[in-house]
Amino acid sequence: MITNFISMNGDGLFVWLSFGVTIFACLVVYIKTKKTLNKYEKEFVEEIEKLSVVERKKVLEKSKIATQVLTSQSKSA
Amino acid sequence: MLNLVSPSNIYFILEKIIKFINSIFFLILLISLTFALILSPPDYLQGDSVRIMYVHVPSAWIALACYTSIAFLSILNFIFKIKNFFLINKSIAPIGLLFTCLAVVTGSIWGQPTWGTWWEWDARLTSMLVLMFFYIGYILAIKTIKNESFAIKISSIIAIVGAINIPIIKYSVDWWNTLHQPASIRLTGSSSIHTSMLMPLLLMLLVLLLYSALIFLMKYKTEIIRMKKKNIKRL
Repeated sequence: MITNFISMNGDGLFVWLSFGVTIFACLVVYIKTKKTLNKYEKEFVEEIEKLSVVERKKVLEKSKIATQVLTSQSKSA
Repeated sequence: MLNLVSPSNIYFILEKIIKFINSIFFLILLISLTFALILSPPDYLQGDSVRIMYVHVPSAWIALACYTSIAFLSILNFIFKIKNFFLINKSIAPIGLLFTCLAVVTGSIWGQPTWGTWWEWDARLTSMLVLMFFYIGYILAIKTIKNESFAIKISSIIAIVGAINIPIIKYSVDWWNTLHQPASIRLTGSSSIHTSMLMPLLLMLLVLLLYSALIFLMKYKTEIIRMKKKNIKRL
């Protein structure tokens, strides 16, 4: 039964290859996208930390996004 | 009104949607794969190779939908000059390219057991290949042109010119004699596909749509952070 499922009456190679290529490509794109997002979040936090205390306070008051990124990065750290 | 679609307002919703998609994705993927690989019946003519349809067709649909959105937003961007539309397009384009490549590759794999050839220069296959080149051109224009407003202009022109190819892809099987079969599913009129095959097809479409949404949201978030990082002193 398992052999039949894998061979799919001779079409197994084509079916598994199609699904395999799709899953592999999607996985690669997902990992790459996630890595890039993490990299930019990290760099953004580093930029904020480089600012003087007054500037940082100003940025965090003005930008909700900066506060959000800073919070999520400190959670994941 | 347009303020509602500003990156700052959208950003907070993104995180919630990403978490939601992550929580349901694997369950839906598992159900869809079970239907596509086990529960759906083989075709009376094509046998089990018909299962390739469950990745090939949704990929092609998403590729076309992405390009149509890019072209539409490019036209709006030309008229209203809203930078956010460019950020959205920039985030959609790689997804469109991925699914165009997948449609071409899985189509080629399907061609071997069905037609006895990996590739044929027929109208549908060639027009899909042309779409892939438009995607590559669009992404290259964004990545290589340093001046942003010029990059927006050139990429928008590529997107709008390439939109001519969309109806050609759709109707290629009706206008020319092609190896590729005509559409089995029609939004208007009756579809020639049985429910036992339509169900896994729609489930796989849902999975790939959720995946596309997830990638889009992550890329869009990256673009917003990149923009904020560039203007940090002005925040």
